[in-house]
Amino acid sequence: MNMIIVGCGRIGGELAYRLYLQGHQVAVIDQVDDAFNNLHPEFRGRTIEGDALNRDVLQRAGIEQAGGLAAVTNSDSINAVIAHVARTVFHVPNVIVRNYEARWRLIHEVFDLQTVSSTVWGAQRMEELLYSADPRPVFSAGNGEVDVYETVVPRTWQGHTLADLLGVNHCLPVALTRAGRALLPAPETRLETGDILHISATFEGIEALRQRLTQTQEK
Amino acid sequence: MFVLIAGGGRTGAQLAVLLTAQNHEVHLIEHRRDILARLHRELPTEIIYEGHPTDPQLLEQAGIQRAEVMAACTSNDADNLVLCFLARTRYNVPRTIARIYNPRNAWLFDQKFHVDAAINQSDILASLIEEEMSPGAMMTLLKLRRGEYSLVEEKIPPGARAIGIAIKDLALPQQCVIAAILRDGQIVLPRGLTELEEGDEVLAITDRPGAVELAKLLAPPD
Repeated sequence: MNMIIVGCGRIGGELAYRLYLQGHQVAVIDQVDDAFNNLHPEFRGRTIEGDALNRDVLQRAGIEQAGGLAAVTNSDSINAVIAHVARTVFHVPNVIVRNYEARWRLIHEVFDLQTVSSTVWGAQRMEELLYSADPRPVFSAGNGEVDVYETVVPRTWQGHTLADLLGVNHCLPVALTRAGRALLPAPETRLETGDILHISATFEGIEALRQRLTQTQEK
Repeated sequence: MFVLIAGGGRTGAQLAVLLTAQNHEVHLIEHRRDILARLHRELPTEIIYEGHPTDPQLLEQAGIQRAEVMAACTSNDADNLVLCFLARTRYNVPRTIARIYNPRNAWLFDQKFHVDAAINQSDILASLIEEEMSPGAMMTLLKLRRGEYSLVEEKIPPGARAIGIAIKDLALPQQCVIAAILRDGQIVLPRGLTELEEGDEVLAITDRPGAVELAKLLAPPD
C-alpha cells in the first residue's frame, strides 16, 4: 500500500521504517532536509522536502493514490489541517494524526480525526507503573482513557458482592476467573479469595478501586 | 459587533485599533512576548488575552462562544484555518475571516475549513503595486468585489481625444460605466448626450482591463 508520513521526527522516522519493513511504499514529507537523518539507515522509500500545506508537495508524495496518511509533525494545527485535507479533498481512506500537546487534543476531536496522543499516553502509562502494580493494566484502549486491569481478590473481600467492590463510577467488570474457569460476572456475584478479576476502568476508577482493595472490610 | 481577533501582529493590531475606534467590541489574542509589549502600549489592556491563539481554553476565556466575527490574523496559515473551523463547528460563530500568510496556501482557504472570507495580503499588495506602475493620473477611489472592480477618477487633460464627444459615442469598454462627472465643482450626472469637456473629472466604475482602456480613451492623443 502507498503510505504518506508528514513530519520526519522520532515518531515519523520510526513509523516509516516499520511500514517499510511490512512491504509498503512509503513517502515521507518534511520541511527540513536534516530531518531525514531520523530515518533508519536501511529505510528505502521516498523523501520529499517541502511544506506539506502546499498542494504540489502533497501531490508529489502521491496523495491521490495513498492508502494511508499519518500527520505526525510537532504542530497540532498543521497535523489537523493536513489530515482534514487528506480525508476531505483527496479521500485518503485511512488518516491518523498525532496530538502533540495535550491541551490541543480538542482540535483533533472537533475535526473528528483518529488521534494518537503519544505524550499523554506515555506519561499516563509511566504514572501507572510508578504506583503499585496491583491491579495491573493488561490492555489499553484509545489513548489510555480506559484500561483493562487484572487483580486478585484479597481475603478481606471474601463473601462480598462484586457491586460492593466496584462501586458505581468509572469501573465495569469484564471477567471473573475462578479455579481456572472464566465467567461473565453479575453485580451480585459473591467474591472468593483468590478469584482473578478483569475490570475495565478509567484512571479515576482504578484509583478508587485500588483504595477499596486495600481497605479492611467489616463483615 | 463583537469581534475576536487572533494574532496581534501588524494586521491584527491595526484591525483592533480600527474597530475599537468605531465602538465595536474587540478581544485580541496573542502569545509572543515582544509583540505583547507593543500591544499593551497601543490597546486597552482588558481587551488583550495572552496565550496561544489556538488554545481552546483561552479562546473560551476570550469569549469565542458569543463572537459574531472570528478574524484569524496570525502569521501561521494552519493556525488560521484551524481557528475558522473551530469557530464555526464548535462555537457557531456566524462569520469567519482568515488572513492568508503564504499565497501558496490559498487553495486551503475556503469552505473546507469554514473560511467565509480569505484575505490574500500578498496578492492584494502585488496588484496595488502593479496598478501604481501603470501610467496616467487615474486614481482608484474604492475597490469593489475585493479589487475585481474599482471606482476610479480621471481628469481629462487638454487635447484629450474624448473632449467634445457625447458619452453614447464614446467607445467605452464593455465592463465600464461613467457614474458621475465633476465639472467646476458641480456634479453632472452623465446621460448619453452629455459631452466631456477639458478639466472634467470623470468617475467611472470598471474592471481591471476596462480601467486600462478607459485611461487610453481619456488620455491626450500622442
